[in-house]
Amino acid sequence: MVYKLGVQNQNINSINTLSFGKKDKVKDEDIKWVNDAHLLCEEKKKHPITTAVKIQTDKLTKSVTEYPKKGFKGSKNANFYEFLSMGMVPYLIGSGTMMAVFNLASKFFDTPAAVNASKLGKKMGIGVVLYGLGKTLSKKLIETPVNLKYGIDVNLPYDKKNNELPDDDNKDDLVSHEYHKAYESVDFPRWDQFYDNEFYGPDRNSYYVKVGKKMGINDVDLEYADQKVKPKILDKVVKTKLFSTLSSYLWAATGVGIAMQKPWENFVVNPVKRVKNCKNHIKTAKIAKEQGRNIAKYDNFAKDFGKKFVESTKQFVKNDSKSASIAGRVLLGSAIGMTLLGNFSTLFDFNNKGAKAQASTSLIDESKEKVVC
Amino acid sequence: MSNLLNAYVSNQPTDRLIKQESETSFAYNNKNKVKPMQAKGELLPSRIIGSPIEYAKDLKKDIISIGKGAKGKANDHELGRINDLAMKIGSLALASYLFIKNPLKLSKSMEFVGFGTFFASMALWPKLAIQAPIKAMTGVDIHQKYVDSQGRKKMLYQDPQYDLTDLYSREDLDKIGKKLDIDENIEDRDSHIKQEAKKKAVQGNTLWMMTAGFATPIMSALACNRLEKPINNVIEKVDLASSEKAMKNGKKSIFSRIKQFVSNKSFEKYLSQNSDKALDSETISQLASKIGDKTESPVVRDSIKQELSSLKNSVKIDETFVKDALGGKVSEEIAAMSPEQKALFDKAVENKSFSQIARILSKARGNLTEKQQRSCAGEYVKTLENAKKRAEQPSISQVKDKINALNKNITDYVSDKKLLDRCVDTRVGNKSGTYIANQWGRVSNKLIKSLKLNNQELKAVSGGDMSIIYDKLSKISADDAQFDKIVNDLMKLIGDYEQKTGSEFVSATQSYSSEISTKAANSLKSNGFTKLAEKITAAGKKSTVENVKNIDTKGKIQGAQSSFYRLMQTLDLSKRMKNGNFESQLKSVMQNNGIEIKDETVKKLTQVCKDVLHDATIFDYTEKLTSSKYNLSTNEYKTVMNVLFGESAGSEIKESIKRTMGADKADDILSGFRSYTKAFKEKVANWKNDMTPELERRVTDGITDGKDAVERNNLSGKQIKSWFQQEAKNTYNSRKWLKIFGGAMAALAAATLITDVIISKKHKAANEAETEKKVKNG
Repeated sequence: MVYKLGVQNQNINSINTLSFGKKDKVKDEDIKWVNDAHLLCEEKKKHPITTAVKIQTDKLTKSVTEYPKKGFKGSKNANFYEFLSMGMVPYLIGSGTMMAVFNLASKFFDTPAAVNASKLGKKMGIGVVLYGLGKTLSKKLIETPVNLKYGIDVNLPYDKKNNELPDDDNKDDLVSHEYHKAYESVDFPRWDQFYDNEFYGPDRNSYYVKVGKKMGINDVDLEYADQKVKPKILDKVVKTKLFSTLSSYLWAATGVGIAMQKPWENFVVNPVKRVKNCKNHIKTAKIAKEQGRNIAKYDNFAKDFGKKFVESTKQFVKNDSKSASIAGRVLLGSAIGMTLLGNFSTLFDFNNKGAKAQASTSLIDESKEKVVC
Repeated sequence: MSNLLNAYVSNQPTDRLIKQESETSFAYNNKNKVKPMQAKGELLPSRIIGSPIEYAKDLKKDIISIGKGAKGKANDHELGRINDLAMKIGSLALASYLFIKNPLKLSKSMEFVGFGTFFASMALWPKLAIQAPIKAMTGVDIHQKYVDSQGRKKMLYQDPQYDLTDLYSREDLDKIGKKLDIDENIEDRDSHIKQEAKKKAVQGNTLWMMTAGFATPIMSALACNRLEKPINNVIEKVDLASSEKAMKNGKKSIFSRIKQFVSNKSFEKYLSQNSDKALDSETISQLASKIGDKTESPVVRDSIKQELSSLKNSVKIDETFVKDALGGKVSEEIAAMSPEQKALFDKAVENKSFSQIARILSKARGNLTEKQQRSCAGEYVKTLENAKKRAEQPSISQVKDKINALNKNITDYVSDKKLLDRCVDTRVGNKSGTYIANQWGRVSNKLIKSLKLNNQELKAVSGGDMSIIYDKLSKISADDAQFDKIVNDLMKLIGDYEQKTGSEFVSATQSYSSEISTKAANSLKSNGFTKLAEKITAAGKKSTVENVKNIDTKGKIQGAQSSFYRLMQTLDLSKRMKNGNFESQLKSVMQNNGIEIKDETVKKLTQVCKDVLHDATIFDYTEKLTSSKYNLSTNEYKTVMNVLFGESAGSEIKESIKRTMGADKADDILSGFRSYTKAFKEKVANWKNDMTPELERRVTDGITDGKDAVERNNLSGKQIKSWFQQEAKNTYNSRKWLKIFGGAMAALAAATLITDVIISKKHKAANEAETEKKVKNG
């Protein structure tokens, strides 16, 4: 079969729809597709959480169903995106397994051993959670200021249609959807998605003009803002990625360090036990009220978690051991320091001052070797 | 596939620049000469463990990439590698934090072991469980690496849509084709091989992603579990050797010396900053606390304060002193004194008697009543005394050298003493990871291992069912070879324990203790601090293992030792009962003690003997053995004690030692055991005395006589029943964990290998399909 790109594309576009809650009914032709891709800028602005959740859900679901199925068959349509998406699986399973390694066996132990094992198990479990939270949330501390100052959202997603080759199982539904980020590659950013994008304005260059203005480019240069702004955007994207990556693992380590503190030993994770404790507390409170006494309210999971987190953080930076306190402060300080360095480096322009800030007049730098990948 | 051509067109910049570009660019002006660069990519040899030089080179590149990234210039490949590096840096930072946080050396080490095993598992699992088997079966290395024209190392099959199989040489392709059993006469064979290889890679990589989450943490945890014991042994050996060597040489570590230097310098600085301060009681307290806080001894701390208080200026009491102190008209009054009065005054000054001086001066004033004279004299005395005090009180700068010397002497002494503390702590310290704790663990493990208990039995024992243990011991006792082995193994461990915690160790610590205190005392004496020197000398003489670090180390040593011997006695009794020696020994002792030999009595005393060894505590010897439970008469009690701790005690152990280690060594090896039974008889069993007065004495005196009670408790050792129970619990828990996760790992490995086989076999179907197609096409 001769597979003609573009020709096939037209027909397939009309078959597939974008899957976003009630908007599912929106037909494909209503959505602007540029080169088989659709930037989800509007969706992200209107429904930031829903969009993120749906993208992650879609990726995760496919990572444990569709992609392994294709992968185990050795499908000719399997690609790098699917491989990378499946990378979530070891992270999630690994986190669960890590928790299990420290918790699962303890239920077979006798009470004192189980209590001791549970203390460590809880810390390790919380450690896994705080590792993930630290790693994910800390990136926002660098990414958000960049987005706010320059309008560069390094996580801006786009829906990408893939026209697949027919294989044994699939001869009709030859389109797959992938969720990428416009700036996920610094070698091949999806600049095309920002041209003629009505979300940013009526002009072809609206996005680049908008970013250019935020970057303080002069009006003359705004005429060809895309060319002027692209290297600057890349500069910001690379720095943002670099520092958010470096800081994220330090925050993750800090998270685990906080999880290793004593207050977590008394944290009740088991929901059944929490409900039981809560019921007991209500009974106690009732009796106390009858006796004219007031007792403190039962902390719900979030409140209890928050309290333990604050206590543990305090203990992380100040406890009985002087050396451990110093080490805790150094670790926390290095995470904060790296985030500040990231902000400093991305929000202030050091590389393009003076003459360098002028518009480039050549697309190709003659002094450098060209690489075709 | 995405339409990259369209994307490329859309990515072109606005017209103005295109125009400029087309007119000025190198590419435009040399369009007929421009050619693509020649590809220089090549495959890299596959290794399970990479070379350290390569790692170092890659690390260097990654660090350079971070620099480039900070300038906004890094590419995707570099950012990807930075992510991996950052993950390792983060993990290393965490391991370092936990290393510092954990107080024990083993826990500290395990933090880095955990870090290492986690990353090793992450790297090794796909290599060992997926890459190697698939390569062995198909010839396709699914994690084949290549280096591209830019020197970037990547995986050949990372992106299945980015075909790099052209990098395979003719030989490589033939080799893979042969392994894959691809028909040699097939049309376009190379494409077929490449397609199949790619398929295997996609399948293998999928298998990797699906299994790594389970495999990495479990592999890492299992590796840590297996490594813990050998690492602990290494730490112990290094610790014992280094602490002993340091104590013998008196050589302090570089950290200790730096700490000492910094401490001295900081003290000197403090003195310089406060050089004008008078050495009053407040300053003395501050200095004493600064110097004395380094030592744990309150006696030494008090002496330091006393020594500082004794640092005084000598004051000359003469007429000038009196004139200066009292000022006012005193000079005139002295000048106006009669010769008699002046002679008396001079005499009083010579006697340095402030009261006489005051009386003479108050009288010399003449116009005062007697009452006023007394009052005036009182004022003079006070003034003179205060003046003397002030004059005696030096400023810090005046005695700076002395204080510095005192501080230095104490710092040196404390630092020397730390070597001793470290040596004692390493062996018998009150924490886990010390020699004594490890040896206890070794004996316990050996015991459980020798009994060969299965999980069900372990669970029953940990629940308190000791009949299993006694049955096992009985079975071991029935077989000389098994009995000898367990006795031999345990005696070696006990022998090592005796040697490392015995008299040699005690005398070495004592001699070092007196050596460092003599050294410190001499230095202090030479600087004039004789009282402190005496205190330190006295402390040095007392400073045996017993009171180092203020812990009852001697008691600990004795307690563990008694437990070990009690265990040996249990084995001995079991063997004696099995071969019938016990009954004859019991009857003989009964006869000697005038007890009528009846089956009932023999049975009762046999049971008591078992119970005493297995379950008795120190209180049982004083109360329960004579209480209603056993209702032993004095003679029966003596009989039990004699059989257990008398001449016949350890007879089977001795025989066993004779068989395995030689008859000549038996007495020597059992000398510690003999001392123990002797001490037990005298101090715990009290078998010589009549029971009733002794019981009364212990009930009344035992509470107040703490030392005696502690010693007797140490001699009684740990109850065999609770020891076995605890050890069975530990072993059961450890085995349960291992069973769950070892089983999970084995199942995962098996499932992965089966999948490897399935992946590797699929090519045949493809081959057959190709053949079928060929047949159909005629």
